[in-house]
Amino acid sequence: MLSASLQRLWHKLGSPRWFVALTDGWVTALGWISLVLLIWGAVWGLGFAPADYQQGNSFRIMYVHVPAAMLAQSLYIGMGVAGFIGLVWRMKLTDVAIAACLPLGMVITALALFSGSVWGRPTWGSWWEWDGRTVSTLVLFFLYVGIYALREAIADQDLRARASALVAMVGTVNIPIIKYSVEWWNTLHQPASFGLTQKPAMPSEMWLPLLVMVLAFYAFAGFIVLVRMRTEILHREMGARWVREWLQAGGTR
Amino acid sequence: MYFDSFADLLQMGKHGFYVWTAYGTTALVLVASWLSARGAFIATTRRLRQQAELVQRDAPTTNSMENDS
Repeated sequence: MLSASLQRLWHKLGSPRWFVALTDGWVTALGWISLVLLIWGAVWGLGFAPADYQQGNSFRIMYVHVPAAMLAQSLYIGMGVAGFIGLVWRMKLTDVAIAACLPLGMVITALALFSGSVWGRPTWGSWWEWDGRTVSTLVLFFLYVGIYALREAIADQDLRARASALVAMVGTVNIPIIKYSVEWWNTLHQPASFGLTQKPAMPSEMWLPLLVMVLAFYAFAGFIVLVRMRTEILHREMGARWVREWLQAGGTR
Repeated sequence: MYFDSFADLLQMGKHGFYVWTAYGTTALVLVASWLSARGAFIATTRRLRQQAELVQRDAPTTNSMENDS
């Protein structure tokens, strides 16, 4: 019985119509949550956290660099998982998810690289180092660009979905490389300042703003990906009757 | 606040330029992402609404033609 209801949920999850109805209220909530958290975290990190005893104030870049880099990888993992589900179970919604994660993932990876570069200049004395972490993140950026170009190039919707699902899935091998790059290779990049299992290597007045910023970035990503998924679904289902009904019922968010 | 004055906050020792560049770019990227996602949503729902109006306007005409024949 459990498996039957799980199966029903699985099918529902794959239904675009159900997804739009389910997420109607989420968009506004996530948008406001991310805005509040972003302002809170930025003010805290910029003006109230104490300066680092070695890096001085440049360490404040961490509060945007670390969440951006985490999100860059998470969005890619999201695309990889969606790609896998799409290839195995032929779910309609997974290609919508890939299309929605792609633009944000691409610019957030660029932001992680850029903020890292701006942080590297005063700390390492150089804008760019050919280092395990930076190169594997650059590869991540090119993976995003590659999938974007692929989607632009293929007109057939089904083929496009399968091709980008495959590349997204295969490209996830790069994620552990990014993660362990600071351990595998001799590197300038500092190791993780944050972990789920170990205590952070900094005082709480330094890592609490980081926690707020990480949550803020994830809420923001949820917000953007949701808006884009809903847009993509409405676009694809343009002629469908439920879309007209949803519109008449006042679905504008 | 950690800093003694607003000028100190802007200056950030000798790191003001780097820190504010990073935060400014971040703000720019987030706002641009929001505007682009929002723009696409508005454009799509506008198209949907126009299409729905067309369907409604066309519906009686189609019926009357059917009645004529």
